[in-house]
Amino acid sequence: MKGKSRLSAKSLGYCSCHVCGLVSRPDNDDDTIDLCPRCHTTLHMRKTGSIERCWALLLASAILYVPANTLIMMETGTLISYRKDTILSGVVHLWVSGSWFVAAIVFVASIVVPLFKIIALALLLMSVQRRSRHWIPQRTRLYRLVEAVGRWSMLDIFVVTLLAALVQIRSLAIVKAGPAAIAFGAVVVLTMLAAMAFDPRLIWDPIRKEKP
Amino acid sequence: MSIPHRHLIICHECDQVLKEIPLPNGGVACCSCCGATLYRHTQDSINRTLAFAVAAAVMYVIANCFPIIGIDFQGNYNEVTLPGAISSVWNQGRPVISTLVLFCIIVAPAVEIMLMICLLLPVRMGQKALGVYPIMRTLQVIKTWGMVEVFMLGILVALVKLTTDFIVIYEVAIWAFAALTLLLASMTASFNPREVWQQLDQIAEDGEAP
Amino acid sequence: MTDRHKETEEIPEAVIEKRRFRSSQLIWLVPMIALLISLLLVVKHFIDKGPEITISFKTGEGIEAGKTKIKYKDVQIGLVKSIAISEDRSRVNVTAAIFKHASKLIAEDTRFWVVRARITGNSVSGLGTLMDGSYIGIDVGKSTKPCFSFEGLERPPAVAMDVPGREFILHAATIGSLDVGSQIFFRHLQVGEVLSSELDKDGKGLTLKIFVRAPYDQYVKTSTLFWHASGVDFTLDANGFKFNTESLLTILLGGISFVTPDDASDAALAPPNTEFTLFPSQEDAMKRRDTVFEHYTLVFRESVRGLAVGAPVDLRGVTVGEVTRINLELDPGGRDIAMPVEIRFYPERLHARSRSKDKTQLPSSSTDSRKLLNAMVAKGFRAQIRSGSLLTGQQYIALDFFPKAAPARIDWSKKPPVLPTVAGSLEQFQASLMQIVQKLEKLPLEELAGDARKTLQSLDAALKNAEKLLNNIDSSIVPEARKVLGETAKTLESAKQTLSADAPLQTDLRNTLRELGRAAQSLRTLSEYLERNPEALIHGKQEDK
Repeated sequence: MKGKSRLSAKSLGYCSCHVCGLVSRPDNDDDTIDLCPRCHTTLHMRKTGSIERCWALLLASAILYVPANTLIMMETGTLISYRKDTILSGVVHLWVSGSWFVAAIVFVASIVVPLFKIIALALLLMSVQRRSRHWIPQRTRLYRLVEAVGRWSMLDIFVVTLLAALVQIRSLAIVKAGPAAIAFGAVVVLTMLAAMAFDPRLIWDPIRKEKP
Repeated sequence: MSIPHRHLIICHECDQVLKEIPLPNGGVACCSCCGATLYRHTQDSINRTLAFAVAAAVMYVIANCFPIIGIDFQGNYNEVTLPGAISSVWNQGRPVISTLVLFCIIVAPAVEIMLMICLLLPVRMGQKALGVYPIMRTLQVIKTWGMVEVFMLGILVALVKLTTDFIVIYEVAIWAFAALTLLLASMTASFNPREVWQQLDQIAEDGEAP
Repeated sequence: MTDRHKETEEIPEAVIEKRRFRSSQLIWLVPMIALLISLLLVVKHFIDKGPEITISFKTGEGIEAGKTKIKYKDVQIGLVKSIAISEDRSRVNVTAAIFKHASKLIAEDTRFWVVRARITGNSVSGLGTLMDGSYIGIDVGKSTKPCFSFEGLERPPAVAMDVPGREFILHAATIGSLDVGSQIFFRHLQVGEVLSSELDKDGKGLTLKIFVRAPYDQYVKTSTLFWHASGVDFTLDANGFKFNTESLLTILLGGISFVTPDDASDAALAPPNTEFTLFPSQEDAMKRRDTVFEHYTLVFRESVRGLAVGAPVDLRGVTVGEVTRINLELDPGGRDIAMPVEIRFYPERLHARSRSKDKTQLPSSSTDSRKLLNAMVAKGFRAQIRSGSLLTGQQYIALDFFPKAAPARIDWSKKPPVLPTVAGSLEQFQASLMQIVQKLEKLPLEELAGDARKTLQSLDAALKNAEKLLNNIDSSIVPEARKVLGETAKTLESAKQTLSADAPLQTDLRNTLRELGRAAQSLRTLSEYLERNPEALIHGKQEDK
């Protein structure tokens, strides 16, 4: 099976509705918008403008990744101290205070995952653009992973929200969400949108036999 | 209008066209080319999903109405509910974060649960539901944004951070959130859109027949 | 075959188990359980929920919905849920949820106030609120009747209701420096506080509510006297300087002191809310005890400078009355000026003392007391102006027995009756001083010195003769005797030196006598000046009142 080139649905003229999964053969008339016969969803052979949208969103998230990691994520004020933590210093603080497991979770969710997503998506996009024929199943798996882990990056946002709302004992202890939280939230949302915009079918296209 | 081919399946990841095969109980069909899951046979899917959805709805209400955790710091007691936390962050001048959390933890799960019930209840009763297509479309999108399980992990991380400085009191909603996480996972696992569509087709055919 | 066929016909078919049906029912247990748990939670929530109360305050300062706590004895018992302006816009209505376990604390007479950081003269309180915000404090009363709407106090009550003690009511003319929270002192011990002060409806006085803590409240009797202990009581009168204060705090903040007079120690315990009068000072409080008093007139012919209205009337050092009026009266003949001084005499003070001393009852009726006074006057009972303090020139009236005084009688016919007087002690003192000075002046000091010199000179001559005689004896008497005599001569020589006119002893005596003469002269000047201006020593020349 492996390495055996097959015909893609696109080349056969079939299209699967992305909502109901019904396979139909749309008219090849370019003037009309094809609708799914069952659920009347607009049919696309491929996600429209997938690469461009994915690149744009990815770039935006990559830019925001910088302030998200350098700005203050959480301000912790107590009677005697006032801490301003970036994501990384927060993880370090957790690690130093002995919560290694949690520190590792936060580190993975907040730093590794977004970075991994940005790099992975960039690699996927570049390989697709270069019509690479190598490691196609691996890249598909990579994409699946990117899609699956994306949501877990929101962890830090939720933690900050909870702490900021809960630790409000005036002047004794205060936690405030810093500006990095906004940037970080945007990074997570943008990478999720980028992953959604990416069409994995494009990975396989270079090895598909085009129907004459 | 396109011409439907009901016994064909296209892999949504590699665009491979495949023929549908009947599945044993609990079986999973996957793409011969890339290995992506195509469809599953879940036993009693509609019934179970609906049951989980109703249970999740109940838990959702509890999780949102009761305080999640409380802290005690030198006699100062403070507790927080989820809506309270969101409004508090909003008032602290972080409307973006608060909106994000509102959408991911309150709106998205609520919409998911509600739509699931709206969709499945008529199907189970054997009636044609209203607005099935927009519901299915929304469900597909909203699924990605409902992050109750991530929030649950967030609660646990927050607990660890808090226990070093405060006396932490576990309130009702933390258990409700745990339950909600499990119920939503069960709901998603038992939900089988393919079966729903088949049922809908069946109902539509039955409606046309007489 | 047929048999077998028959047999198979008779064999019943297996029935398909309706698994699907079963499992589909079972799955609904999940929402059922969820629903049950939620119902339990909701029911528990409502059972656990304490009462919701409304408290109205003048301002909402420091109160935050969802954050401000309600505390009793610094333990949280509730939380403010919402704040709203009352319909007439005059007050702020605070709605608060009280914890279930504390719901019994909320009764009709529970008091609420906002605890903020307060810095007053006598206390700094609520500093903790600077850190974690204001909270609503409550004080629980004795009532058990539930109530859900309250009017908040504007300031914390001075005394919590569970503090044992009693409340009393004081009527005062002015509030002075008193304020709510001013302290009550009993023998300089802080025993209570002022709870409230209100202007009387007629605007002529004030009504104060005070609280005296147990066990000190037992010292409040029906005859207890209360007075303003505010500030410094600085008086300058015939008794000299007086500087009275309760404590340094009262100087700044004011306070109230009370005491139960010793002779009334067996008085009944004052029931709560007994009304008392608040006197402006301790003196006033003590004076007012004398409800029985008699007026007398004392006619003086000497200067009454230094005698003021209110000056004490003193009987052997004990104040038994006070001067109420000082008049100037021209004698009908126009030849003399008399100063009738009216005094108020408190016979009760005499009464009490005589009883405690000789246990004999003084006659209570006025005729008897007249008889007694008559007898006393006959024995020389007189009034006299005396100088209370030479330094200040203040004078007072002294009553005493002057056995040598000229006989006199009480003139009962006048109103008030006239008590006989004798000349003032200063006048007597001045007279005798003059006498001494005159006598000193009459001393023939110069002559005395001359006489002494003459005597010494003749003594000198006598000694010279004696020397001659001894010289003669020297030639005729044995050498031993001569030796003795020589020694005697030496002795006499030194005696001569001593007694000579310019000897040190002589000079000293002369000087002393001269000094005495000078002292006598200045004493005369002083006494004359003092007679004219007794107070001049301090004040210099003072204008007449």
